[in-house]
Amino acid sequence: MKITEALKITQSAPANARPFCVVLACGFTPLHLQTFLSAHLQQSLPNRKVVVTPGLYGTLAEALEGTSDAAIDGIAVALEWSDLDARLDFRSAGSWGRSAAADIVANAQAMLDRLAAAISRVPSGVRVALALPTLPLPPLFHTPGWQASEHELHLESEIFGFAAGVTQSARATVINVRRLLEAPPPGPSFDLKSHLHTGLPYTTPHADKVASQLALALVPPAPKKGIISDLDDTLWNGIAGEVGPENVSWDLASHSHLHGLYQKLLASLSEHGTLVGIASKNDPRVVAQVFERKDILLRPEQVFPLEVNWNAKSGSVSRILETWNIAADSVIFVDDSPMELAEVAAVHPGIECVLFPKNDYVAGLAVLRQLRDACGKERVSSDDALRLESIRQGAAFRVRAAAAATPESFLALAEAIVTFDFGCAAEPRVLELVNKTNQFNLNGRRYTEADWRSLTSQPDPIVVSVSYEDKFGPLGTIAVVAGAVHGKRLVIETWVMSCRAFARRIEQQTLKMLFESTGAEEIDFDFVPTTKNGPLQEFFAAVTGDQPTAEFRLRRAQFDESCPDLYHAVRELRRAEAHG
Amino acid sequence: MDDTGKRLAGCFQVVFPNLREAEIPSASQQTVAAWDSVAAITMMTVIEDEFALQMDLDDLADLDSFAKIHTHLQKRLQVA
Repeated sequence: MKITEALKITQSAPANARPFCVVLACGFTPLHLQTFLSAHLQQSLPNRKVVVTPGLYGTLAEALEGTSDAAIDGIAVALEWSDLDARLDFRSAGSWGRSAAADIVANAQAMLDRLAAAISRVPSGVRVALALPTLPLPPLFHTPGWQASEHELHLESEIFGFAAGVTQSARATVINVRRLLEAPPPGPSFDLKSHLHTGLPYTTPHADKVASQLALALVPPAPKKGIISDLDDTLWNGIAGEVGPENVSWDLASHSHLHGLYQKLLASLSEHGTLVGIASKNDPRVVAQVFERKDILLRPEQVFPLEVNWNAKSGSVSRILETWNIAADSVIFVDDSPMELAEVAAVHPGIECVLFPKNDYVAGLAVLRQLRDACGKERVSSDDALRLESIRQGAAFRVRAAAAATPESFLALAEAIVTFDFGCAAEPRVLELVNKTNQFNLNGRRYTEADWRSLTSQPDPIVVSVSYEDKFGPLGTIAVVAGAVHGKRLVIETWVMSCRAFARRIEQQTLKMLFESTGAEEIDFDFVPTTKNGPLQEFFAAVTGDQPTAEFRLRRAQFDESCPDLYHAVRELRRAEAHG
Repeated sequence: MDDTGKRLAGCFQVVFPNLREAEIPSASQQTVAAWDSVAAITMMTVIEDEFALQMDLDDLADLDSFAKIHTHLQKRLQVA
């Protein structure tokens, strides 16, 4: 991004929009870093007015310590060596003499402890994005520049220890500096003249790079939910139907290890909750034989469903999306054929299509990184590990429901248990579910951590998460409701439910629980119809006998009249704690 | 105004969005309240983007009006 573009973006912010306030904590004059950070955040939050304020105090540590009681949405920390000891600052007149090095390391240790303590005092819900030093150290150590000095290595070690600590405690999101420095355009990061004349040590392109990564860490994009992959010349090298299932390869000896790396990546993503499906024009028996091979790195149980047939791939993709019950824009389709990619893209315009680059190792590495970047998660929850199994279970559920004598008898015999957790507001999975659910979503509203904290700390709040399991297995946490109780009226501002949980009457059980647990006689829904929340609109139409087009009120008697029989066992958790 | 002046006026509009178009040719650090040291450096970088040339921070103190910057740019562009 150029500075002109950045200024235009910041100036285009809607004047009366709700502000999104970020403190930029750095020990140098922020200048363009502040402009670029504002612009990148504004691009991510077009409906907010981004306000980036430099820390009020002189040093980075003081700036961070000054944020502990501030009403802000996030803190961006651009840490540089000079923040650890003034002698590491080119602008300082401090000595680079013989005794300096060991003293600098000791000072750095103390300063990093102070920064860690300041970060730990940042109110929960305020995101902290942390960029570790990106600039070169001054030539103050006794070794020649090509040799790493003991003290330099100690400094690096202290920095990484500090970063690992704040990451482990989930108090900050740490930028990957190696990736940042690799990002285009190539060129120097340090501008000595600018540093000495203006106080900004970054070249303009480097300021943009640091700002873009800090913005990503403050407002991360929603991860893609699934990858649909081709098989021949993509998941493996060779055409299985031609060379035989035993002769397709993905190993070093066959010079086809790029396919093995791709398999390993998909296996890893699957273990972390990304759905992996197959769309291949192939003979199902041949494919089954390949997946039976002992050396395959993506195990068959990590993939569901497999659409293997000779028809158009867009049709296979449609069926996979239907099984997963997610929209095309949450999915990546990978194939080695540009024609197949184009055919799928034409039918599913929102889908992200990625060409698998056979025999191009540079492009291959880029694709592996692209997939990890698109699907990677900050944290992996126990629900992530359940996701694929619950989809498989859901498919079995639907097959058996269709085969049952009546849908009613099937539900009655499902041995379902619905668990309501009234003390869940601070759990990361809850906000994650709110921010990624589209189809059963009361109004499509997304929340930053600060917004969520504000919503759930209003007077008489009610925040409940819903988990489900039945005899086919657990679905994990599948729904969240948040609002506030006003006497005999409950106002619901957020209600989401995972599409995996449809057709089990969990939504009715949730309303029943809300009426009973709060004593409310009516519920006000802050409902907004969106292009994606059709399933919720249908549910409301069934409950109210009408198609609401905006916020509406549901009376308890009205709900009782429309509520079908419910067969779940119901559990409540942490009710006492949640209600004090 | 010549082409350099028009492009420079565009830079001023980006850095000082509240400045009226008619005020730009006579703008200087004395007449524009928002023209502080940060704005001056930002202006240099915007000019670098627009004219694809490298400005020298040593010139920063002297380039304190639209007219001076305009003249500076005309000389630089002639040399180029």
